[in-house]
Amino acid sequence: MRILVVEDERKIAEILASALAGEHFDVVIAPTGEDGFYRANAEAFDLVLLDLMLPGRSGLEILQTLRQRHVETPVLILTARDGVDDRVLGLDLGADDYLVKPFALPELLARVRALLRRGRPSEVFRLKAADLELDVVARRANRSDRPLDLTTREFELLEYLLRHQGHLVSREMLAREVWKEPRRATPLDNVIDVQIARLRKKVDTEGAARLIHTVRGVGFILREEEP
Amino acid sequence: MAAPSIRLRLTGWYSLVLFLMLVVYATATFVAVRHEFFEQLDDQLHDDFEAAEGFLSASSDGRVAWSGERRHDPDDAEDRGSDAWAASGEQIYRSGAASALPPVALATTSATPHYETLVTNGRRWRTLSGTTLVGGRSVVLRVSRLEERLRAQLWEILVVLVLGLPLVVALAGAGGYVLARRALTPIDHLASEARRITADRLHERLSTPNPHDEIGRLTAVINETFARLESSFDQLRRFTADASHELRTPLSVIRGIGEMELKEPHTAAEYRDAIGSMLEEVDRLTHLVDTLLRLSHGDAGTIRLSRERIDLGALTRDVVSSLAILAEERSQQLQVEADEDVSVVADRLVLREALANVVDNAIKYSPKGAPIAIHVRSDDERAMVEIIDRGPGVAAEHRERIFDRFFRIDQARSRDSGGTGLGLAIAKWSVAVNGGTIAVEGAPEGGSVFRIVLPGATRPTSSVHHDPVTQGMGEHV
Repeated sequence: MRILVVEDERKIAEILASALAGEHFDVVIAPTGEDGFYRANAEAFDLVLLDLMLPGRSGLEILQTLRQRHVETPVLILTARDGVDDRVLGLDLGADDYLVKPFALPELLARVRALLRRGRPSEVFRLKAADLELDVVARRANRSDRPLDLTTREFELLEYLLRHQGHLVSREMLAREVWKEPRRATPLDNVIDVQIARLRKKVDTEGAARLIHTVRGVGFILREEEP
Repeated sequence: MAAPSIRLRLTGWYSLVLFLMLVVYATATFVAVRHEFFEQLDDQLHDDFEAAEGFLSASSDGRVAWSGERRHDPDDAEDRGSDAWAASGEQIYRSGAASALPPVALATTSATPHYETLVTNGRRWRTLSGTTLVGGRSVVLRVSRLEERLRAQLWEILVVLVLGLPLVVALAGAGGYVLARRALTPIDHLASEARRITADRLHERLSTPNPHDEIGRLTAVINETFARLESSFDQLRRFTADASHELRTPLSVIRGIGEMELKEPHTAAEYRDAIGSMLEEVDRLTHLVDTLLRLSHGDAGTIRLSRERIDLGALTRDVVSSLAILAEERSQQLQVEADEDVSVVADRLVLREALANVVDNAIKYSPKGAPIAIHVRSDDERAMVEIIDRGPGVAAEHRERIFDRFFRIDQARSRDSGGTGLGLAIAKWSVAVNGGTIAVEGAPEGGSVFRIVLPGATRPTSSVHHDPVTQGMGEHV
């Protein structure tokens, strides 16, 4: 899958490129608005990561022109501007999602995966990792065929981790997707940490392989081997 | 062009009003004097008439003759005259001056005397003519006086009035100008004194000789403004210092870790740990900048609120249940006691933030195993949430400032106990934009009571307004 990254900050562009390459995407970097615009028009991409503040041609302009020409490639906006208006404008002009800088890479990758998955039925009702099994419909979880006694929140948390298994999940993603709260200035990080610790105590019992790992400074990941 | 100074305008208006008043006054005076003068003239004519009647006498042959003493009516007097006719039209007497006048129309002369003004050769005469009986014969008698002297006098008065009036107004205007200048000088003085007080000298105050007069009151108001300005400058200075400290700390940690790790080779696990630690600081920094931005958006008033009717009890329970896990970890009991049906009209997410920050604060500062009570109450007009902790309490002198940004009672424990030092500032702001207040006081059992007071929603059908933008985004900025 090809991804076009329109980003003028060289360092950020490189970080994006290497993070996406790590997920086995082909990445093309356009360092100016003009370049990004011509490439998006001329070549076929599966996704465009678009910075809004660009020299030459602003991201919003590019987006608008693309959509006017019926180029329907999914667009994920990156913006440093923390204003509702900009985001709403971007979404109105046909962007599919947005991220505010500074963003966490796990979050960016999750959004990219979600956008690329879109349109295809991906609803899975039985999730599995090693000997951990989750039945979303029956709301049952088993580890080595032994049922786990989980609270609603713990179940949702485990489900989210399982759906993103093998990928990093940031606290911000958990706050928004599991707790359904904008993190902002609420003291939710501590709550998340405590909840993860409790979940881990129930899931990763003694003797079993550790599945839930904390990656310091980034977030959490559910996978079979140590990160 | 700039408008003229207050002093000039004041003088101008004052002079104009004075001028108009004097014109009215002078006109009235002149009219009254003129009336009085003519009345006097008519009185004199009346006296003359009676005197002249006395001069007429009937002789033995039945003729009426003028026999008056000449000194009363000298022939040569130029400004007064008298003449008399018999009923037949025969002239009985005519003084020198009277010869200029046309004869009296005998037929129209009635018995009652009447006044008349005659103009001959450009001179105005006031006359009194009437019929009188002398020795049984009817005689027409006319006395007359020239009006000129009287008119000359009136003219003099008019000249005095017309010339004097502008002079008086000019003098009064000059006086008014001087007075206005004297009255306004303290204001000029005040202005130059106030100009001297710049940002660096905000502690100075304006002086006033008399604090109870108008200028004194103005000075007091300006001084109050300076005091407020000084306190907000102080706050700003403190905030800037605190903010740069808070921002620099994570930066120096990141730099320190980076430099340490590069000094000599480490294992992969050690590098991983170091990078993770750096990322934690980045996270802290991001959170700090986000919060500051949010507060500054709040200061600028650019936050859109979606106001709706909220069950305060339910919202409080919701907040408490989301934080309960933290209290559980510390074996604290969070007890919510809520009156039924306490509702407010507010922005749910913003208000939630306030509650979450205060409850989190209570959990953080209460010792392990301590109870934390949360009461939701209402009276007629207000809804109230009280969060009662068993923490160390807040000393009276810190109770105002504890809601200031970055204010920490104990500087030493700042970073380790987590948080940005902005939680209560956010809480204060969140409550304030919803029209409420937040305050802290000592609890009877030790610890503190944080009290959030909001205007209550009295009618259950008050308007519910959703802002589609903020609602749609699920986030507030």
